[in-house]
Amino acid sequence: MGWITDKWAIIIQLSPFLLEGLWMTFQISIIAIIIGSLIGFTLGIAKTTGFRPLNGVINLYLHLLRGSPYLVQLYIVYFVLPATGIAWLSFDSYMAAIVSLSLYTSSYVTEIVAAAINAVPSGQAEAARSVGMTRAQTYRHIVVPQALKMTIPPMASIYVIVIKSTAVLSVIGISELTRQGEVAIMRMPGDIMFIYSLIAVFYFIYCYPMLRLSKWAEGRFGKVRGNS
Amino acid sequence: MMWLQEYFNFRLVSEYAGVFAEGIWQTLWISAVCLALSLIFGTGLALARMSGNPLLWRPVAGYIQFIRATPLLVQIYLVYYGLPLILPAGLLFDEVQSGIVALTLHTSPYMGEIIRTGIASVARGQIEGALSTGMTPRQTMRHITLPQAIANVMPPLLGQTAVLIKDTSLLSIIAVFELLGAGLLMFSETVVATESYVTVAVCYLGIYAMMLVLSGIVQNRLGGSAWQAH
Repeated sequence: MGWITDKWAIIIQLSPFLLEGLWMTFQISIIAIIIGSLIGFTLGIAKTTGFRPLNGVINLYLHLLRGSPYLVQLYIVYFVLPATGIAWLSFDSYMAAIVSLSLYTSSYVTEIVAAAINAVPSGQAEAARSVGMTRAQTYRHIVVPQALKMTIPPMASIYVIVIKSTAVLSVIGISELTRQGEVAIMRMPGDIMFIYSLIAVFYFIYCYPMLRLSKWAEGRFGKVRGNS
Repeated sequence: MMWLQEYFNFRLVSEYAGVFAEGIWQTLWISAVCLALSLIFGTGLALARMSGNPLLWRPVAGYIQFIRATPLLVQIYLVYYGLPLILPAGLLFDEVQSGIVALTLHTSPYMGEIIRTGIASVARGQIEGALSTGMTPRQTMRHITLPQAIANVMPPLLGQTAVLIKDTSLLSIIAVFELLGAGLLMFSETVVATESYVTVAVCYLGIYAMMLVLSGIVQNRLGGSAWQAH
C-alpha cells in the first residue's frame, strides 16, 4: 500500500504543473492546426486547378516538408532563419514552434484536400458547368463543399500527428507537456519512469478521443486516400 | 563563387564531409535494422490482432492504441530509462540499442496495421485453393497469403519506411550519433547554424529522393492493380 499512496502523492503534487504543460500543448497544437489548415486548404485547392507551374511549386513545397524530419525543420526555423539577419524572421522559441508546426501541418492538409477534391466525381463539376455555372462558382458551390466532408476523417488523424509532434518542441525549451515532465524529473529524479508514464497517460487522454473520432468519421463520411 | 560563400560556406561543410557521411551511414543502418525488426514484429502483431482469441488480440489492440496515441519522443524516453530497470544488471543497452528497441516498438504497430489490411485484401479463393491442395494453414499463410498481402500494401509500407527514416532523427535527443547528430556536432564546434542544419536537411532530402526512386522501381516491378488502389 505504501507504494500506491507514495505515487498518488506524486500525482497530486505534479498534476497542476503537468496540466500547465498540457494546456501549452493544447494551445500550440490548436494554433498550428488552424494556420496549417488555412495554408493547406489554399494550396490544396490551388493544386487541383491544373495550372502546371503552380503545381510544380506546390509539389516542391510538399517534398521539402515531407522529405525532412520535423525536428530538422524546427532547428532550421529556430536557428537558421534568424541567422539570415532579416528582422521579421528572428523568431523567439514560441513563434518558431508555431511557424514550423503550421508549415509541417499544411503539407499534410494540402495533400488531403487535393485528394478529396480529386475524389469528387467529375460528373458533379461537369453538370454544374453545363447548367451555366462558371469555373469559380462550380468550385465554390459544388466541388469544395463535397470535398470538405471527405476531409474530416483524415483531418482528425492529422490532428493526432500534430499533437504528438509538439513533444519535440521540448528541445527548444517550450514548456509543453514533455518539457514540464522533464523539469519535474529534475526535482524528483527517483521517479523518472513514473513521471514519463504519467506524461504518456496525459498524451493518451488527449489523443485517443481524436483517434476514435477519425475512426467514427471514416464510417460516417467514407475514406479518402491521400498520400499520407 | 565567392558571393555564394557569404550565404553558405561550403568549404566549412566540406571539412565536415566525413562526419556527415558517417551520420548518413548510421541513419541508414539503424533504419534498416528497425525496418527488418518491425516487419517481423509487425507481422506477429497483425496475426495476433486477427486471431479469434480475446486473450491475444485485446492486449495487442491496447498496445497498438497506446503507441498511436503517445508521442515517439516519450516512448523513446520510456525505453531509454526503462530498459535498465527491467533488464538484468549485467546486460546494459547503449543508446543505439535502446534507440533501435524504441523505434521498433514504435514502428511495428504501424507496419502491423498495414500488413493486416494487406492480409484482408487477399482474395478468399487464394486461401481456399491453397488449403484444398493440402497445404496446412501455416504453409498457406507463409507461401500464399503473406507474399500477396505484402505486395498489395507495398506503397504504404514504403511510406511508413520513409517515416521511420525521418523518425531516427529523434534519437539524436538521447545522444545517438546519426545524421542530425552530425549536424549538431558541426554546430557545436563551428557555431554556424545555416551550414550545419541546412546540410542535414539536404542529406535527408537526398535519402527521401532515393526512396522515391526506389518506390518507382518497385512500382514498375509489381505493377498492376495493387498500385491503383492507393
